[in-house]
Amino acid sequence: MAMEGLNFPPMDLPPETEALRAEVRQFLAEERANGGYEPHCDAWMSHWSPDFSRKLGARGWIGIMWPKKYGGQERSALDRYVLTEELMSAGTPVFSHWVSDRQIGPTLLAYGSEAQCALLLPEIAKGNLFLAAGLSEPDSGSDLASIRTSLLPDENGKLRLNGRKIWTSAAHLSQYIIVLCRTSPFNIEKRHEGISQVLVRTDTPGISMRPIHLLDGRHHFNEVVFEDVEVDPDQIIGEPGNGWKQITDELVYERSGPERYLSTFPLIVELANRINRDGGTSAQKAALGKLVAQLWTLRRMSVRIVGLMASGKALPNNEAAVIKDLGTRFEQESIALVRSVVDARPSKDSLDPLEVRLAEAIFHSPGMTLRGGTNEILRGVIARGLGLR
Amino acid sequence: MSDIRDMLVETSEKLFADLSTAEVINASEQGVWAAQLWTALEEAGLTLAAVPEDLGGAGGTLGDAFAVVRVAGRYAAPVPVAETVLAGWALAGSGLKVPSGPLAIAPVAAGDAIEIAKAGESWTVSGTARHVPWARHADHIVVVGDGAAAAVPRGDCRIEEGANMAGEPNDLVTFDKVRVDAGAAGPAGEGIGPDSLWVMGALGRAVLMSGGLERAFEHTVRYTSERVQFGRALSKFQAVQQEIAIMAGEVAAADVAADAAVAAAEAGDPTYQVAAAKARVGQAASRIAGSSHQLHGAMGFTHEYPLQHNTRRLWVWRDEFGGEEEWAEKLGAWLAAAGGDEVWPFISGSRAGLAA
Amino acid sequence: MAIDGLSFPPAALPPESEALRAEVRAFLAEERASGGFEPICDSWMSGWSPEFSRKLGARGWLGMVWTKEYGGHERSPLDRFVVSEELLAAGAPVSAHWIADRQSGPLILRFGTEEQRRDILPRIARGEAYFAIGLSEPDSGSDLASIRTAMTRENGRWVLNGRKIWSSGAHMADYMIALVRSAPPDPQNRHAGMSQILLDLKNTPGLSMRPIHILTGAHHFNEVTFEDVEIADDQIIGEVGQGWAQVTDELGYERSGPERFLSTFPLVTALVDKLRHHDDPAKRAVAGRLVAQLWAMRQMSVRVVGMLAAGEMPNVEAAVVKDMGTRFERESVDIVRGVLAERPATDSDDPFARRLAEAILHSPGYTLRGGTNEILRGIIAKGMGLR
Repeated sequence: MAMEGLNFPPMDLPPETEALRAEVRQFLAEERANGGYEPHCDAWMSHWSPDFSRKLGARGWIGIMWPKKYGGQERSALDRYVLTEELMSAGTPVFSHWVSDRQIGPTLLAYGSEAQCALLLPEIAKGNLFLAAGLSEPDSGSDLASIRTSLLPDENGKLRLNGRKIWTSAAHLSQYIIVLCRTSPFNIEKRHEGISQVLVRTDTPGISMRPIHLLDGRHHFNEVVFEDVEVDPDQIIGEPGNGWKQITDELVYERSGPERYLSTFPLIVELANRINRDGGTSAQKAALGKLVAQLWTLRRMSVRIVGLMASGKALPNNEAAVIKDLGTRFEQESIALVRSVVDARPSKDSLDPLEVRLAEAIFHSPGMTLRGGTNEILRGVIARGLGLR
Repeated sequence: MSDIRDMLVETSEKLFADLSTAEVINASEQGVWAAQLWTALEEAGLTLAAVPEDLGGAGGTLGDAFAVVRVAGRYAAPVPVAETVLAGWALAGSGLKVPSGPLAIAPVAAGDAIEIAKAGESWTVSGTARHVPWARHADHIVVVGDGAAAAVPRGDCRIEEGANMAGEPNDLVTFDKVRVDAGAAGPAGEGIGPDSLWVMGALGRAVLMSGGLERAFEHTVRYTSERVQFGRALSKFQAVQQEIAIMAGEVAAADVAADAAVAAAEAGDPTYQVAAAKARVGQAASRIAGSSHQLHGAMGFTHEYPLQHNTRRLWVWRDEFGGEEEWAEKLGAWLAAAGGDEVWPFISGSRAGLAA
Repeated sequence: MAIDGLSFPPAALPPESEALRAEVRAFLAEERASGGFEPICDSWMSGWSPEFSRKLGARGWLGMVWTKEYGGHERSPLDRFVVSEELLAAGAPVSAHWIADRQSGPLILRFGTEEQRRDILPRIARGEAYFAIGLSEPDSGSDLASIRTAMTRENGRWVLNGRKIWSSGAHMADYMIALVRSAPPDPQNRHAGMSQILLDLKNTPGLSMRPIHILTGAHHFNEVTFEDVEIADDQIIGEVGQGWAQVTDELGYERSGPERFLSTFPLVTALVDKLRHHDDPAKRAVAGRLVAQLWAMRQMSVRVVGMLAAGEMPNVEAAVVKDMGTRFERESVDIVRGVLAERPATDSDDPFARRLAEAILHSPGYTLRGGTNEILRGIIAKGMGLR
């Protein structure tokens, strides 16, 4: 199929990735057996374990693509993909290092200074250091270019960071935060210019944080306030004013990955387990089959995109948006479908793992189609890619 | 895609665009056999692409054959392209020469079974097959029984004409102990049987649908860009853009699913990949049919406008060789019997690191 | 419930309406038994039977709310609702009189001349006069205000030129009420300068028709062309220039009725019949869910009729019922399909297979006719103050 804006060329993961997959599976099996982790729905957004992160780090599984001199393994995007999908499907507690590994590390490598990379990347790769990303603000959600957090010289010429970030995932667990900010005043004709990213330690004077609790009472997000925070120019990442490009490049990776359809996978596994245990009705089997058919397809679409990205031939923005929209809607619908075919009382305290997974999934479902760009915005991207806008 | 495949697709596109026009499709609905289209397909070697040369075909792969089927689906071609591929698969897989001319395949209705029995040097075929697509226009009706396959000349069968919702021939075929010569029948080859026919038939429908729904989507993008109401093109309205974006996801998903299932068929027993594809593509077909009609407004509901050539076929193909529910249940039952830990290996297509 | 612009006050059907319901059911049972009709999906659009319409007329079940002076029966809108829902639930062939009884008659009653009332209304009430609608045009679908069919004054007479499209049943109906321009378009006031006119479909020089076949090949719709058709003053309904206001009123009636969620009801009943032979509780649960949705929608529809009966104009509520109801109709087809894998075929021996084929083949229309759902949602949003 070759439609403009909708191109998923055939692609299979090469056999070389199988060895890594086998290693990861063996590691995870051992960890499960030792009680090293429990699978959870949406674990990548909600469950962390410093121990688990360090173990991954010790195996070289954080920053796996990074240069060896920074603690990486210099492995390919395809290897990283296989690693990611194994960790996601198993519902592992990767929340604390997720953003650092997926997004901030690549940003530093692409745009950061030697000093920044040498300082941060090796410790991130070991699973000892966590960075958060400060993007959204109370008045800037979907319209990120409208941010107001500013990094400007004070009367003494010292750079000061002022503003407020919201929905900052894991900031309370992080030692550093990368803050998207304006280094030049907003110009309505050039809204994407004058934006930069700056690296600050979370314990810097002038930074305060308050937790934002989600509707299940849990704390993943934060509001982070910056009041006259002193910043050195060498804390800016790359060229001042290049921030917009830095973050948009990342979006393709962020949008098309396995976390965009595997958040409820542990629930689906429990459906299969329940049918296996109890015999299962026709409707339950059909529901399981329908869910797996959709997942199988989504994964194939995702693999095709990673092929495109790995080859460096194109940045498949539209295709990534398609996967994100389709995948996250699937995640939400999977919950309703499971609910409709099983007798279950969703509860985090239940002894029945299906009921626990169902409760997790239900509580997290609102976020699935909001995070990483709301689906409505992404559909606008898709429409533009099709030439409609 | 290979160069040969690219060429096949390009040739097919041109041919179907020229000869599978709205007029030809409408005439077919009135009973006129699209002879020119079929002849052109045969002459271009597009009908038996996957049959080995020594058995009458072009010597290509299953993937090549299904690539043509997909284009046939795009153009709602009123000729048995997919059925001939299935017939070729059954006969060539049983070491039998595949005759030229349009071929029908049977049985296609759940519960039907045809008996093919050895009778001395030749074979006899007995039984009834319902809703056989294109039987009345086929030169041979290829039958897959339990343990044998046969190519029965149409003239030797009793045919009662019928139609499906897309206005295509779906005939009742009765085989009254028809004698078939040794060269035209034989023991079924490895992996050829009524069950595997059901799987390959479903694969063919998934591929047809992936082409058809892509075309319905193209119609929709074009129509909404041209139709002006309230001073602007429909495609400028956000509600329309949102729905088209959702449709784009379904089109892409269907294409990838069907393609992946074809690849699985080339690699071995594709039963569960076909199950996933038929379920997923059927789901996409339903969504695309509904949305494309909604965005076309009343115009799309007419007989005259070509959208219905695609959507009526989507409604039919999603039901044939098992609908979504049936295949989803089959896939779910198999996975659940193996247990929750087997779900990811299926999805990832890999057993690396696991006990065999 | 207290949402701005959206209110569904409780309404109950009085005992007289229930007694009437029993009568209608008895009549329908007789008709079914004597082979009078077969229940079909979308019967109000595709079931055309002058004979059946006359039988209803003879029983006083058409023109029910009109004054007796004009052949009506002075009954309440709640009574009319009961008759409509019984007929539709039974999949009875009501399309011949449907438009006439539902909207053309009430329009003439409200705005027509005395002569029109005396001549036409009794015939509608007897089930003898049938109407088609002339609204959409090739370039004016959702944007009805952009119509171009126009009548202009020439030598002291009105002369009509233009074309109407999607007119259901025009090839069999007696009359059409068409919305036309009676003054040139005014960009400052898009809704001004339109009038509705009464046209004799069988006897008007300059009026011609061509069939538009739906995707099954069936002929319901037509394109009607007007070439220099002379329009007499008394053909104008109400006042010149009143057309838009009249149409908006009519749409309120048109949108809220049970045909907006009962089009696939014969399929649902056929499903339930089939499920008597199936043990699977999950399948029964699906049927139960469908019925639960229908039950809830009917409650909403009854309340809308209650508001109409009280003299209100529940435009927003009617739009909600229409949007939800028609979406239900569309979804019900796929839900039923998912429960029973029968091959849908219009020529099957199995009534379930026939109903399923009808429902599938007609499915594109549910959410298009009577205003596309996208437009309706805009009306709802506006009614709630969001636009």
